[in-house]
Amino acid sequence: MSVLEVDGLTKRFGGLVAVDDFSLDVEQGEIVGLIGPNGSGKSTVFNCIMSIYDVTEGTIQFNGDAITDDKTHEIVNKGLSRVSQESNPIDLYPVAGNIKLFTLPNSIRSLRGGASDEEIYEYAARIDIEDKLQEMPDELPHADVRRLEIAKALATEPEMLLLDEPFAGMNQAEINELAGQIERFREEGMTIVVVDHNMGGLMNLVDRVVVLNNGEMLAAGSPEEIAENQRVQEAYLAGEGL
Amino acid sequence: MISTILLLGTILSTVPGRIEDVAGSVRRNVLLPIGQTLDRLLAPVDRALQPVADGYNRRLGTYFGEMTGLQFALIFGALIALLTAGLWAPLVSGSLLRTLALASIWAIFAMSWDIQSGYTGYISFGHSVLSAAAGYTTALLLVHVNPELSLWITAPISVLAALVLGLLIALPSLRLEGPYFSLITFVAVLLFYRLTTAFTSLGGIPGFSSPDVFTWDPTMRYYYMLVPMLLIALALTFMARSNLGMILVAIRENESAVSAAGINPTKFKIWSFALSSIPMGIGGVLLVGFTGNVDPHTFVIVDNSIEMIAMAVIGGMSSILGPLGGAFLFEFLNHEVLHGFSTPVRYLFLWGLVLLVLVFARDGLFRMIWHRLGAVRGENE
Repeated sequence: MSVLEVDGLTKRFGGLVAVDDFSLDVEQGEIVGLIGPNGSGKSTVFNCIMSIYDVTEGTIQFNGDAITDDKTHEIVNKGLSRVSQESNPIDLYPVAGNIKLFTLPNSIRSLRGGASDEEIYEYAARIDIEDKLQEMPDELPHADVRRLEIAKALATEPEMLLLDEPFAGMNQAEINELAGQIERFREEGMTIVVVDHNMGGLMNLVDRVVVLNNGEMLAAGSPEEIAENQRVQEAYLAGEGL
Repeated sequence: MISTILLLGTILSTVPGRIEDVAGSVRRNVLLPIGQTLDRLLAPVDRALQPVADGYNRRLGTYFGEMTGLQFALIFGALIALLTAGLWAPLVSGSLLRTLALASIWAIFAMSWDIQSGYTGYISFGHSVLSAAAGYTTALLLVHVNPELSLWITAPISVLAALVLGLLIALPSLRLEGPYFSLITFVAVLLFYRLTTAFTSLGGIPGFSSPDVFTWDPTMRYYYMLVPMLLIALALTFMARSNLGMILVAIRENESAVSAAGINPTKFKIWSFALSSIPMGIGGVLLVGFTGNVDPHTFVIVDNSIEMIAMAVIGGMSSILGPLGGAFLFEFLNHEVLHGFSTPVRYLFLWGLVLLVLVFARDGLFRMIWHRLGAVRGENE
């Protein structure tokens, strides 16, 4: 069954068409790679799904529910969580506090709810930052800040995770480690879409790849097919290599 | 001419460097040794008081924030001093009880402003419109409905009026992001001011003198203002140390992260405004009982809104108790220390102080003292 159904998604900014009639179905338990050169519209697709941007045309369904016009927090509470490209922890709170914020109920009456220290430890442990819980975000190395972003998303107990450039700025060892952790999330039953601008980290991780170019879908297939696809290679020729 | 300007420019450009040098050497040679001496003197006190503070921390720390020995001593000492002021204040100065009563009212305003503006970062420049709504409601009820109405009827209706007006301002404006909210609050207070001065049925410039003061006994009057202030301080501190405070601060720091956490920022922003309007209304009712007059100058003018902000800034925004301390310091300076000067001179000094705090102690004086006390730990010795 499709967990996420994006149908005919179009997003215009004034005269600029950032995403043009893009459709995507993601099945339960899949890891899908969404790639494309810089500026091809990948993050815009995520921003439309999460209602950061209003959709110009098209519909988005999550678990059969129309979420096109939902607010961001409603989408998160339905079980869809996104880790954005930019890290934006709250520097006033330690790692544990940053994770805790993501467990608080959306209720003005709940003054003492949210995760216990043990639960926060569990979320952190799933992405291996459990020994950094008392540190402040601005003291953490880049890779740990990225892990904190993922821990925050995990703390919302998502069924599906949208990861925007999770490997950016990481070295190969860190990429391999993170890919392993993402694989584990899938084993725990999570469905995942990973955005990246090249195939580097995705090759051994994703089940299939969808390629976006100039806001339109260019190709879709297994990682191997995409790596050899002539049109994809041409699209990338303008910029960096695949 | 040009060379004079250039010379002046050169001199001026070296001034900040000089100031930094001087500030640096002052810090090294004066402040640091004083700090170390204070640490040495206070550390044993801190240690001695720690068991008492720990007792409090175990029972109430989760609800109102944990404290070190010295911090506990400051809060407890201040509380005792305020509660016993009826006995000692008249011995210090004839006007002190009046000043402390007025400071209590303004502390309510500053704390109410803080739970909304200080915590969420959506700065309201028009909070006096809320206390004014309460004050004018009391006056209008007495003038137009029944001059014999008891406080038990006028007060709740007045607080409700502040809440309703608060929601009227908050509901449309807090859905917007950026500076619109601040501008709308600013316009709201200007509108209200013109409304009260334009129509004689709303009292005009002289306002209404029909409400009675609560009492003419200065000691009783002080406690009428103090007790509600302490209860509001307790309630707002409790709220601020809860999830609610955490979410409001997160809205200030990064509103999109709050949405990403599955929390509706608009709902919490509006709630913080409502939570702020209620004590603003209570403060407005108390101000009526203090002055016995409801007029634009006492209640509405935008200066009042800015004064609340000044108190919160001096004490330390987003801490509730900081603005409380700020209000008492502001009123003490205004009415006790500087009372010999004319009003413009007093305010010149007070706004200068606000500017100094904004430049040199942005966390506010009371937050600075609080963290300094917290840093004095027995084990450092």
